[in-house]
Amino acid sequence: MDTVNDKIEISLPFKAEYVSIVRLTASGVANRIGFDIDTIEDIKVAVAEVCNKLVNAGSADALEYKIVFKMHKERLDIIFDCEDKKLKCIFDKERDQLALALINALMDGAELCSDTPYLFSMYKVLEGKV
Amino acid sequence: MSSELTVREEQARGFVNIYISGEVDIYTSQSLKDKLYAIVDSNDSDLKIDCRDLHYIDSTGLGIFVGILKKVRQNNKKIFLSNIKDNIKKLFLITGLDKLFIIE
Repeated sequence: MDTVNDKIEISLPFKAEYVSIVRLTASGVANRIGFDIDTIEDIKVAVAEVCNKLVNAGSADALEYKIVFKMHKERLDIIFDCEDKKLKCIFDKERDQLALALINALMDGAELCSDTPYLFSMYKVLEGKV
Repeated sequence: MSSELTVREEQARGFVNIYISGEVDIYTSQSLKDKLYAIVDSNDSDLKIDCRDLHYIDSTGLGIFVGILKKVRQNNKKIFLSNIKDNIKKLFLITGLDKLFIIE
Protein backbone atom coordinates (compact mmCIF):
# COMPACT_ATOMS: atom_id res chain seq x y z
CA MET A 1 0.00 0.00 0.00
CA ASP A 2 1.40 3.40 -0.96
CA THR A 3 1.37 5.71 2.05
CA VAL A 4 3.71 8.35 0.64
CA ASN A 5 2.52 11.85 1.53
CA ASP A 6 -0.43 10.55 3.50
CA LYS A 7 -1.29 12.66 6.51
CA ILE A 8 -2.95 11.60 9.74
CA GLU A 9 -4.28 14.30 12.05
CA ILE A 10 -5.49 13.91 15.58
CA SER A 11 -6.90 16.58 17.90
CA LEU A 12 -6.96 16.06 21.63
CA PRO A 13 -8.19 17.82 24.73
CA PHE A 14 -5.50 18.87 27.20
CA LYS A 15 -6.12 15.78 29.31
CA ALA A 16 -3.63 13.18 30.52
CA GLU A 17 -5.92 10.24 29.83
CA TYR A 18 -5.73 10.81 26.06
CA VAL A 19 -1.95 10.73 25.67
CA SER A 20 -2.12 6.94 25.37
CA ILE A 21 -4.25 7.44 22.24
CA VAL A 22 -1.45 9.47 20.69
CA ARG A 23 1.02 6.69 21.49
CA LEU A 24 -1.22 4.14 19.80
CA THR A 25 -1.63 6.38 16.76
CA ALA A 26 2.11 7.06 16.53
CA SER A 27 2.75 3.34 16.77
CA GLY A 28 0.33 2.54 13.95
CA VAL A 29 1.64 5.25 11.65
CA ALA A 30 5.30 4.39 12.25
CA ASN A 31 4.58 0.71 11.69
CA ARG A 32 2.89 1.55 8.39
CA ILE A 33 6.01 3.37 7.18
CA GLY A 34 8.15 0.37 8.11
CA PHE A 35 9.99 1.34 11.28
CA ASP A 36 11.12 -1.59 13.43
CA ILE A 37 9.64 -2.29 16.85
CA ASP A 38 12.47 -0.64 18.81
CA THR A 39 12.24 2.55 16.76
CA ILE A 40 8.48 2.61 17.12
CA GLU A 41 8.93 2.50 20.91
CA ASP A 42 11.36 5.43 20.64
CA ILE A 43 8.90 7.47 18.57
CA LYS A 44 6.09 6.73 21.05
CA VAL A 45 8.16 8.05 23.95
CA ALA A 46 9.25 11.20 22.10
CA VAL A 47 5.74 12.04 20.95
CA ALA A 48 4.32 11.44 24.42
CA GLU A 49 6.91 13.74 25.99
CA VAL A 50 5.64 16.65 23.91
CA CYS A 51 2.02 15.76 24.71
CA ASN A 52 2.88 15.59 28.42
CA LYS A 53 4.32 19.08 28.24
CA LEU A 54 1.27 20.45 26.45
CA VAL A 55 -1.14 18.75 28.86
CA ASN A 56 0.77 20.02 31.89
CA ALA A 57 0.87 23.53 30.46
CA GLY A 58 -2.79 23.52 29.43
CA SER A 59 -4.42 26.46 27.72
CA ALA A 60 -6.93 29.10 28.71
CA ASP A 61 -7.53 29.98 25.06
CA ALA A 62 -7.82 26.63 23.31
CA LEU A 63 -9.73 23.43 23.99
CA GLU A 64 -7.50 21.15 21.96
CA TYR A 65 -4.06 20.67 20.53
CA LYS A 66 -3.37 18.97 17.22
CA ILE A 67 -0.81 16.43 16.09
CA VAL A 68 -0.13 15.83 12.42
CA PHE A 69 1.74 12.72 11.29
CA LYS A 70 3.15 13.24 7.79
CA MET A 71 4.14 9.97 6.20
CA HIS A 72 6.96 9.91 3.68
CA LYS A 73 8.56 6.97 1.94
CA GLU A 74 11.44 6.74 4.41
CA ARG A 75 10.63 9.36 6.98
CA LEU A 76 7.98 10.37 9.50
CA ASP A 77 7.37 14.03 10.31
CA ILE A 78 5.34 14.88 13.38
CA ILE A 79 3.96 18.37 13.90
CA PHE A 80 2.30 19.70 17.06
CA ASP A 81 0.09 22.74 16.87
CA CYS A 82 -2.56 24.67 18.74
CA GLU A 83 -4.51 27.87 18.29
CA ASP A 84 -2.88 29.08 21.48
CA LYS A 85 0.57 30.20 20.32
CA LYS A 86 1.55 31.04 23.89
CA LEU A 87 2.43 27.36 24.06
CA LYS A 88 5.45 27.94 21.84
CA CYS A 89 8.87 27.50 23.45
CA ILE A 90 7.47 26.14 26.72
CA PHE A 91 10.21 23.57 27.29
CA ASP A 92 12.57 24.62 30.05
CA LYS A 93 16.17 23.37 29.91
CA GLU A 94 16.30 22.75 33.66
CA ARG A 95 12.81 21.64 34.56
CA ASP A 96 12.31 19.52 31.46
CA GLN A 97 15.78 18.07 31.16
CA LEU A 98 14.65 14.44 31.24
CA ALA A 99 12.02 15.03 28.54
CA LEU A 100 14.40 17.05 26.38
CA ALA A 101 17.13 14.42 26.69
CA LEU A 102 14.70 11.73 25.55
CA ILE A 103 13.24 13.71 22.64
CA ASN A 104 16.63 14.76 21.31
CA ALA A 105 18.15 11.29 21.65
CA LEU A 106 15.25 9.26 20.34
CA MET A 107 14.37 11.36 17.29
CA ASP A 108 16.60 12.29 14.37
CA GLY A 109 15.59 15.91 14.66
CA ALA A 110 13.33 18.07 16.82
CA GLU A 111 12.37 21.75 16.66
CA LEU A 112 10.99 22.72 20.04
CA CYS A 113 11.43 26.47 19.84
CA SER A 114 11.82 27.78 16.34
CA ASP A 115 10.31 30.38 14.07
CA THR A 116 7.60 28.17 12.58
CA PRO A 117 3.86 28.75 12.30
CA TYR A 118 3.26 25.65 14.42
CA LEU A 119 4.43 24.86 17.96
CA PHE A 120 6.84 21.95 17.66
CA SER A 121 8.02 19.40 15.15
CA MET A 122 10.16 16.29 15.07
CA TYR A 123 11.14 13.68 12.54
CA LYS A 124 12.51 10.18 12.27
CA VAL A 125 14.15 8.60 9.24
CA LEU A 126 14.18 4.90 8.47
CA GLU A 127 17.50 3.39 9.56
CA GLY A 128 20.11 3.51 6.82
CA LYS A 129 18.22 6.18 4.91
CA VAL A 130 19.70 9.26 6.62
CA MET B 1 -9.25 5.61 28.16
CA SER B 2 -6.77 4.49 30.80
CA SER B 3 -3.41 2.80 30.80
CA GLU B 4 -3.19 -0.20 33.07
CA LEU B 5 -0.75 0.00 35.95
CA THR B 6 -0.41 -2.25 38.98
CA VAL B 7 2.08 -2.14 41.82
CA ARG B 8 2.50 -5.16 44.08
CA GLU B 9 4.55 -5.23 47.26
CA GLU B 10 6.12 -8.31 48.83
CA GLN B 11 8.06 -8.28 52.08
CA ALA B 12 11.32 -10.20 52.20
CA ARG B 13 14.14 -10.48 54.72
CA GLY B 14 16.02 -7.15 54.61
CA PHE B 15 14.28 -5.72 51.60
CA VAL B 16 10.95 -5.14 49.89
CA ASN B 17 10.16 -6.61 46.50
CA ILE B 18 8.05 -4.35 44.31
CA TYR B 19 6.50 -5.57 41.08
CA ILE B 20 5.41 -2.88 38.65
CA SER B 21 3.36 -3.95 35.66
CA GLY B 22 1.74 -2.02 32.85
CA GLU B 23 2.45 1.46 31.58
CA VAL B 24 3.70 4.46 33.53
CA ASP B 25 2.67 7.63 31.76
CA ILE B 26 1.34 11.06 32.61
CA TYR B 27 -2.03 9.53 33.49
CA THR B 28 -0.89 6.64 35.69
CA SER B 29 2.18 8.27 37.24
CA GLN B 30 0.37 9.80 40.20
CA SER B 31 -0.88 6.37 41.21
CA LEU B 32 2.66 4.98 40.97
CA LYS B 33 4.00 7.87 43.00
CA ASP B 34 1.41 7.42 45.75
CA LYS B 35 2.04 3.70 46.00
CA LEU B 36 5.84 3.88 45.95
CA TYR B 37 5.96 6.73 48.46
CA ALA B 38 3.63 4.79 50.77
CA ILE B 39 5.93 1.75 50.54
CA VAL B 40 9.02 3.85 51.27
CA ASP B 41 7.31 5.59 54.18
CA SER B 42 6.31 2.31 55.79
CA ASN B 43 9.56 0.41 55.23
CA ASP B 44 13.11 1.07 56.31
CA SER B 45 14.79 -1.31 53.90
CA ASP B 46 16.28 -1.62 50.44
CA LEU B 47 13.82 -1.76 47.54
CA LYS B 48 14.04 -4.32 44.78
CA ILE B 49 11.85 -3.21 41.90
CA ASP B 50 11.05 -5.91 39.35
CA CYS B 51 10.28 -4.33 35.99
CA ARG B 52 9.67 -7.47 33.92
CA ASP B 53 6.07 -6.47 33.26
CA LEU B 54 6.73 -2.75 32.90
CA HIS B 55 6.07 -2.09 29.23
CA TYR B 56 6.30 1.67 28.99
CA ILE B 57 7.66 4.57 30.99
CA ASP B 58 8.21 8.24 30.17
CA SER B 59 10.01 11.10 31.88
CA THR B 60 7.15 11.46 34.36
CA GLY B 61 7.77 7.93 35.58
CA LEU B 62 11.53 8.32 35.54
CA GLY B 63 11.11 11.43 37.67
CA ILE B 64 9.15 9.41 40.22
CA PHE B 65 11.94 6.84 40.40
CA VAL B 66 14.39 9.67 41.10
CA GLY B 67 12.04 11.01 43.78
CA ILE B 68 11.83 7.72 45.65
CA LEU B 69 15.58 7.23 45.29
CA LYS B 70 16.10 10.52 47.15
CA LYS B 71 13.75 9.38 49.90
CA VAL B 72 15.36 5.96 50.20
CA ARG B 73 18.84 7.44 50.32
CA GLN B 74 17.84 9.59 53.30
CA ASN B 75 17.64 6.29 55.19
CA ASN B 76 20.92 5.07 53.67
CA LYS B 77 19.05 2.44 51.69
CA LYS B 78 19.30 1.45 48.04
CA ILE B 79 17.06 0.76 45.08
CA PHE B 80 17.72 -2.21 42.81
CA LEU B 81 16.00 -2.38 39.44
CA SER B 82 15.77 -5.75 37.73
CA ASN B 83 14.47 -7.31 34.53
CA ILE B 84 14.15 -3.99 32.73
CA LYS B 85 13.16 -4.34 29.10
CA ASP B 86 15.71 -3.06 26.58
CA ASN B 87 13.53 -0.19 25.34
CA ILE B 88 13.19 1.08 28.92
CA LYS B 89 16.82 0.47 29.85
CA LYS B 90 17.69 2.67 26.90
CA LEU B 91 15.81 5.56 28.54
CA PHE B 92 17.85 5.16 31.72
CA LEU B 93 21.05 5.27 29.64
CA ILE B 94 19.98 8.34 27.66
CA THR B 95 19.07 10.29 30.79
CA GLY B 96 22.11 9.11 32.78
CA LEU B 97 19.85 7.58 35.43
CA ASP B 98 21.60 4.23 34.99
CA LYS B 99 24.38 5.76 37.11
CA LEU B 100 22.05 6.51 40.02
CA PHE B 101 20.25 3.17 40.28
CA ILE B 102 21.63 -0.30 40.72
CA ILE B 103 20.42 -2.06 37.59
CA GLU B 104 20.61 -5.84 37.77
